[in-house]
Amino acid sequence: MRVSAGRTRAVDIDPQPWRWGHPRVLIEHPDEAAGLAIASGLRFAGYAVAVCPGPRGHGQCPLTGPAGCAPAHDADLVVCSLGYEREAAREVLRELRTRYPDTPLMVEAPSDIDADLRELLDGCHQLPASATPEQIVAAVQSLSGHAAEEDHAGA
Amino acid sequence: MRSPFHSEQEAFRFLLLLTLALIPVVLAAALGPTWLALVVLAVVLGVLALRVARLRMRKVRGLALPVKMAPPHMGSAAERRVLVVANDTLGDEALLSEVERLASVPDTHLLLLVPALISPGARLTGAIDGLLDQARARLKTALDRAGGHGLVVAGEISEADPLEAIEDTFATFAPDEVIVSTRSERAASGLEPRLAGLVRERFAVPVRHLVLEPDSAAQEPDEDTEARYRQEFGEVAARKFGLKTLVGAGILAAVLLSMVALVQSSERDEARAASQAAEQAAALPPVAKLVVLKVIPEGKLGPEGEKHDAFTTTEFAVRAGQPQQLRIDNTDTVPHSITSPGAGVNIVVMPGTHTYTLLVRHAGVFLWFCAFRCDEWAMQHPGYMSGYITAS
Repeated sequence: MRVSAGRTRAVDIDPQPWRWGHPRVLIEHPDEAAGLAIASGLRFAGYAVAVCPGPRGHGQCPLTGPAGCAPAHDADLVVCSLGYEREAAREVLRELRTRYPDTPLMVEAPSDIDADLRELLDGCHQLPASATPEQIVAAVQSLSGHAAEEDHAGA
Repeated sequence: MRSPFHSEQEAFRFLLLLTLALIPVVLAAALGPTWLALVVLAVVLGVLALRVARLRMRKVRGLALPVKMAPPHMGSAAERRVLVVANDTLGDEALLSEVERLASVPDTHLLLLVPALISPGARLTGAIDGLLDQARARLKTALDRAGGHGLVVAGEISEADPLEAIEDTFATFAPDEVIVSTRSERAASGLEPRLAGLVRERFAVPVRHLVLEPDSAAQEPDEDTEARYRQEFGEVAARKFGLKTLVGAGILAAVLLSMVALVQSSERDEARAASQAAEQAAALPPVAKLVVLKVIPEGKLGPEGEKHDAFTTTEFAVRAGQPQQLRIDNTDTVPHSITSPGAGVNIVVMPGTHTYTLLVRHAGVFLWFCAFRCDEWAMQHPGYMSGYITAS
């Protein structure tokens, strides 16, 4: 997939696949430090992590392209904290729900969301917009444990 | 041995690409001349090399990858694992002090990783012992210093590329923090200052960059300086890689062109040899595929006026190595033979009409005779029960 990086040159961005085993959590967060803080908490809770800043406004997110995104494809759970004022962020959320409907999706969103976003978030596990890394880790643990129980029951 | 693939999917993609790439080569080899197959092979190799070069160039330039990754934390929740990557700065007081400070924090596991920085040229010529010894000496100094203070620090030397060595360490040590120590300018046996930035963009753990100069305190560069390191050293690495790629492409092209020339020359030689063989064959006297003859007792008048036993044909012209059929009607009541020890021939001709195979392996003119005792005079005289086989 060709994505523009910088102002003048187009480059291939093909996010590397996961190098570590399950369980894997993909964290979509535009703020690097905040993303790393969540990642650190999840690592200490026993998860392999990937942190993606989401679409940065200078190109197409691989997730919305034909090739897809390897980290999203092989994640066991996705934590999405992109903020949904931008259409590009909503597009990522839409793609995650469409392409990977079986992957649990945890979305950090404010309570006063518009109707479109509410519809988009229907069925997602919603987190308050000001959730701390500890709250997010606890929610992931709770959700992934719940998912494991469901899998077990299904088997 | 290091697998070049990050995942099974990547390996499968490569296998598929290789199979697809080989199809035109096989088709060209099957349907066209050898030189065409070589040309197609060259094109396919060129395309594959270009793809690999582009991927490698992206890595060399250190373009911002969007996703950072990290494995789960290892050990208990209280443990903190710190990876320190250094080479020429390992003996600096500032770094040794930092190592001691980190190692003295309770529940902290420290690993010193020393990439030996073995260049492809050194690897090819086998001149790696000096670099490894240098890395060992630096690591030993640091470990001895920590050990002297009663601190437990682990150390590792890697022959791999620094970034790959760090990636390997993530799989085995799973650091919670990485410290990369470099100079502000790259020395011959030192790490590139942009390494910290490359680690930072790949791994989802905090990365500290300590820039050390002899006899001065460690500096942690700001974002602009890191960006400058990436730009400057990335461009240098890209230029070097581009040059190497060009040289490699030139060598590959020269080898392939030589192979095409060799094959064409060989094909010309073969065609010339075939043409010469055809000309020689055309110049030879014609030979019959089947010779029909008889053996008649007292069938031919001798010069002394008496009748002698005789073959009706006693001169045989054959091609060396090619069998010739003889249909012989032996009208006598006893067997006779066409025997030539020189030609390696011994055909026993039984009474009645039978077909025999006359095969002479080497060119030459060979005397033959009947080895069965019959008409003794005729056995000694060509044209009767003796004659010549001419193999050409």
